[in-house]
Amino acid sequence: MAALSEHAIEEIRALPPRFPHIRSAVLPALDVAQDELGYLTREAMTEVAELLDLDPGYVEGVATFYTLLHLEPIGKHHFYVCTNLSCDLRGAYEICDHIKRRIGVEGFGEVSADGLFSLEEVECLGACEFAPMMRYQRRYHYDLTPEKVDALIEAARQNGGDRAADSPRDAAAASQKPPGRRASSRGPTKEDSAELNA
Amino acid sequence: MSVTVPRGTLLVEAAKLVKVEVPVFCYHHKLDPVGACRLCLVEISPGPPKPTTACTTPAAEGMVVKTDTPLAVGARADILEYELVNHPLDCPVCDKGGECPLQDYTFRHGYPTSRIDAPRLHFKKPIPLSEKIALDRERCVLCYRCTRYYDEITWSQELTTDERGVHSYITSQFDQPLKSVFSGNIIDLCPVGALTSRVWRFESRPWDMDHVPSVCSRCAVGCNVTLWKRRHQLVRVTSHENDEIDEGWICDRGRFEYTHVNSPDRLKVPLVAGAEATWEAALTALLEGVQGRKLGIFLPQDITNEELFLLRRLVDGPWQDARVALERRTLLAPPQGETLPIKDLDGCKAIVVIACDTADDVPIVNLRVKKAVSKLGAKLLVVHPGHLDLDRWPDTFHVRPNPGETAEAVRRLIGHELLQEGPVGILYGDGHGAEDVDALTQAVVDLAEAVGGRVMPLYRATNERGALGVRLAGRQEDLEGCDAVILWGPGRPPASARFVAAWDSVPRPEHEGADVVLPSATFAETQGSYTNLEGRVQFLRPVLPVTPPLREGWDVLCELGQRLGMPDMDYLGIFHVQRQASRAVELFAPLADPPAPVPNPTPVLYGPARP
Repeated sequence: MAALSEHAIEEIRALPPRFPHIRSAVLPALDVAQDELGYLTREAMTEVAELLDLDPGYVEGVATFYTLLHLEPIGKHHFYVCTNLSCDLRGAYEICDHIKRRIGVEGFGEVSADGLFSLEEVECLGACEFAPMMRYQRRYHYDLTPEKVDALIEAARQNGGDRAADSPRDAAAASQKPPGRRASSRGPTKEDSAELNA
Repeated sequence: MSVTVPRGTLLVEAAKLVKVEVPVFCYHHKLDPVGACRLCLVEISPGPPKPTTACTTPAAEGMVVKTDTPLAVGARADILEYELVNHPLDCPVCDKGGECPLQDYTFRHGYPTSRIDAPRLHFKKPIPLSEKIALDRERCVLCYRCTRYYDEITWSQELTTDERGVHSYITSQFDQPLKSVFSGNIIDLCPVGALTSRVWRFESRPWDMDHVPSVCSRCAVGCNVTLWKRRHQLVRVTSHENDEIDEGWICDRGRFEYTHVNSPDRLKVPLVAGAEATWEAALTALLEGVQGRKLGIFLPQDITNEELFLLRRLVDGPWQDARVALERRTLLAPPQGETLPIKDLDGCKAIVVIACDTADDVPIVNLRVKKAVSKLGAKLLVVHPGHLDLDRWPDTFHVRPNPGETAEAVRRLIGHELLQEGPVGILYGDGHGAEDVDALTQAVVDLAEAVGGRVMPLYRATNERGALGVRLAGRQEDLEGCDAVILWGPGRPPASARFVAAWDSVPRPEHEGADVVLPSATFAETQGSYTNLEGRVQFLRPVLPVTPPLREGWDVLCELGQRLGMPDMDYLGIFHVQRQASRAVELFAPLADPPAPVPNPTPVLYGPARP
């Protein structure tokens, strides 16, 4: 069996003591598993359940509840494009269509032929003032234009598809809120969107 | 109307006391309140100016609850309208139709029409959840009774909810069949027709069945059940709540193992040397066959107290040297002194389970232990070599002795820190033959004395306690060396047998080639009573008639006694047997006072209140 590596198993075993109930450890444990495999297989969920002394059914219920936990393979680079009101009004679907053309897929959730890319439309990510925006590689990217997206795709291709983990676990760390327009007069800067993972 | 209730009583229960119906789907008196379905909305004052869920709000001093204000009535009707958004209109072919809370509530609390014309959610249906249970996701109203039952009561999560919001649906884990022995209760729990029995599917409508409350015949717990019949067939077994024993749960063995009663193979006429015969001829052949031979008698686990008493008389008299074996029996001796009744598990501060896989041997006791631990805060200690489902409780203290060394392990528990606070309940089995039972029992008694606890021996066979009460509980091995055997129930003849009489309801391979075959009545037909593992005598209520030439066991035993020339074997009926048994055997004393054949019905509209 062993869908997960020794390292991941160790990490999951260390989780329960940090929570009042063992069930609270399911989400972080699934993050660990998804980080490692890219998406959650049945085997991975079963293994997580065994490590936490639960039935796989419970883990399955949690995994299907959250859209940030993937049950199907996704590309090594996954675009979470917001298509809620503000982003939609500012052209989110044009961005989506552009990404689809560039990576050669027909629809959301589809993985490009080279296995590198996929995209998904998501509900509001809380950065309406920078619409249209998306989450990509642990970071928020603001005021999207086709050119900005092209640069990201190109950089990823150059990278040779080195999968930089893009998981909900990192979202908390990475989504340090951009300086809000009101809080800072600076507004979104170039770094905000151009920043790529090294 | 005003009502005074104990502290903590929820409004739904308080309402029943004043005969006001508050409709509920998600609320169930044995599950923790969750407030998922919102159907129980009422208006309370003092309180917020909006409807409040009666199933999550405890009654309070001076609280005024209004169920009939426009706000409350409208809120409930609106919720029902939503419940019906995706509900299909297949009531005419739905097994729940006729006993369906959704139908009843819609009739009494809902709008006559729906304003919703959005497309309905569609699912593949029905989906088999297991061999026994079918799931119809379109009918489901997502009350989560089933998944909460699984989680809270059985400590397992193999039934779960996938996805979320309007897309949620109930599923078994990874679509694998349910494995739990407690799965069938979700059928009774389901307030709509989403979970139905595949064994009973499309067999009959609820309103064309007759039913009687009776006792389960499958193990020594003695859960109360309701037997349902239609046209002389037993078509369904459901639970019949008795808080002193089963709390309304029964296991899948009790619920689904009844189909042999209706089997077309049922034995109806006696056979002698394979040919049909009269009872007279068959009993003559039987008595001739056992005459002068060393007799062994195998008893079925669900033999009644009355049959045991009559057999005791036979074994005391003409069949003096007969050996007797009981199906599925443990090696435990009759208990000495006072034992712990099942209902008192609720009050235990610590429970020790020794040498018994309770989920398999005494399933409903297992659920009572789980309740005491997870809902009432008892500490749990387990002494068993294997991995049990009780280990799912994170704080279970589990000692795993090698097989055969359980007694020492039990002694080492004396003075254990978890046993400091009483009362302590000590449940013990026989380790399925791996243990020296006398040493184990002694260790258990010593432990009970040391910690001030009470013991509960976990017998396996349905009426093992009754059989022990009349000293008729040997083992299959005891029949070795007998050259004439009467196999009542599923026993094997020993190699030494020259004459074999089989007495059973259906033909069995192990009875192949029996010299005499007698048809026997099943638990659904016979009158009588069982003694459960705590020593409680409970009466069977036959739901099916005994159609001649079928005869009940006690009747046949009486005739055998008479033929063997015993005095006073000509009882006028089972009541006379019961009266005599109650005087002769201490354990059977309650037989003197059989209850009314059918208890008072509970009101349909409100149900019994459970404050």
